[in-house]
Amino acid sequence: MGTLGRAIYVVGSWIRGAGQAVDRAGCALQATHLFEEKVSRHRTLMNLFDKDPVVDKDAFVAPGASVIGDVQVGRGSSIWYGCVLRGDVNSISVGSGTNIQDNALVHVAKSNISGNVMPTTIGNNVTVGHGAVLHGCTVEDEAFVGMGATLLDGAYVEKNAMVAAGALVRQNTRIPFGEVWGGNPAKFMRKLTEEEIAFISQSATNYSNLAMVHAAENAKGFEEIELEKSLRKKFARKDEEYDSMIGVVRETPEELTLPDNILPEKAQKSPA
Amino acid sequence: MTSLARLTRKTLTATNYHHLLRRTFATESAAAKTTTASPPITPSPDRVKWDYRGQRQIIPLGQWLPKIAVDAYVAPNVVLAGQVNVLDGSSVWNGAVLRGDLNKITLGFCSNIQEKSVVHAAWSSPTGLPAETMIERFVTVGAYCLLRSCTIEPECIIGQHSILMEGSLVETHSILEAGSVLPPGRRIPTGELWAGNPARFVRKLTHEETLEIPKLAVAINDLSKEYFNEYLPYSTIYLEVEKMMKSHGISI
Repeated sequence: MGTLGRAIYVVGSWIRGAGQAVDRAGCALQATHLFEEKVSRHRTLMNLFDKDPVVDKDAFVAPGASVIGDVQVGRGSSIWYGCVLRGDVNSISVGSGTNIQDNALVHVAKSNISGNVMPTTIGNNVTVGHGAVLHGCTVEDEAFVGMGATLLDGAYVEKNAMVAAGALVRQNTRIPFGEVWGGNPAKFMRKLTEEEIAFISQSATNYSNLAMVHAAENAKGFEEIELEKSLRKKFARKDEEYDSMIGVVRETPEELTLPDNILPEKAQKSPA
Repeated sequence: MTSLARLTRKTLTATNYHHLLRRTFATESAAAKTTTASPPITPSPDRVKWDYRGQRQIIPLGQWLPKIAVDAYVAPNVVLAGQVNVLDGSSVWNGAVLRGDLNKITLGFCSNIQEKSVVHAAWSSPTGLPAETMIERFVTVGAYCLLRSCTIEPECIIGQHSILMEGSLVETHSILEAGSVLPPGRRIPTGELWAGNPARFVRKLTHEETLEIPKLAVAINDLSKEYFNEYLPYSTIYLEVEKMMKSHGISI
């Protein structure tokens, strides 16, 4: 039986070789317009000579994100898909439990009009919404930067403050504790209520838990992905009512179940 | 040759040590000033700086697998995670992120989400309605839009860099100008043009303009077919990967 298996393997290799020859013929026909695919050269963590990003082992960095240069990412933080954290001319430090959501950009200023150079500092448990642009600014702990907000050089967001979605926070603006600023240019809108402030830290915790799920999924190797594909196909037709009717107990395998803590009701309350 | 390598290694490690030392002191002082001291960062020895696979396009979470219709064009830069359904004839352009991890995202027939947009769905909506993001047919969502738990009814145009927050509803045949921000729960009535941050009513749309809306979506659909034809049904990257593994001596 070993020789039969080996024979089939050899025939398979012949067919693959024939297929590759046909592919090469097709490439020859395409001539100048041919595109040869190369292995992805995208570097998730990229160092510029001696400026090395330092990322905690519990932090989730999406493979498609770019963390470049002098960047420090603390425990339990998450850098989501498509983010660019460019610490090339100065340093960026992201605290623990912070989430920088999809397609956000964090950059630093080397020189600006007034001549000061500021590193970008993002504190602990901060939520930076999708598509935000943070340039040379400081965000203290437990603040909330809304989606699409733009924070320019020297902007300072104090603890528990909120920058509304789409806001443009101009240079050297200071957003005091517990206030919501929004609009273009950003102006004071209203004060945050107690439960909204509690909600900010709760949402940071929820995001950390969600980041763990994404981190686990993105880190899977080829074998695990294929295994889960077949498991998913097998369990796609599962119907609990029918199962209970015929008296079968079929449990979804643990690879396919998500942890409970990503759903807000079931998540643990963060320590206030 | 080896002495040169040894020399470079010595100089490199010397500079690294000094920089790291300087940086740790700097962060400590900065941390004491503005934020409460964060726990020290322990980098993992397993973290890779570069993964040859790059970013996967389709990221299943648990039992949820993003579904792309056979004639939908989804650029290779795009990330679809969780419960995402991209229906026929639609297109998702470069750099977009559709994250259906907390709730469902549906992209309707012949709709398109242009470059670098982020579509997310919150867990719950302030309006109390289901918080899934529903983009119906013939909708054009412009570049760099940020959509969160919104419902966009058939035949709309959302301008570039607009921000639609939780629970917003854009009714049929309406146009949102570029850069508009819809606060949570905002409803845009049928056939109107809204703009601004926060979005305000500008004027009603004429009947001719209303007829142009699905034509734009169809035009982008035609464009996406050209892009779709550029890509082979299956990538030939596995050949490069096998070559790479062979050169590193890893058996397949």
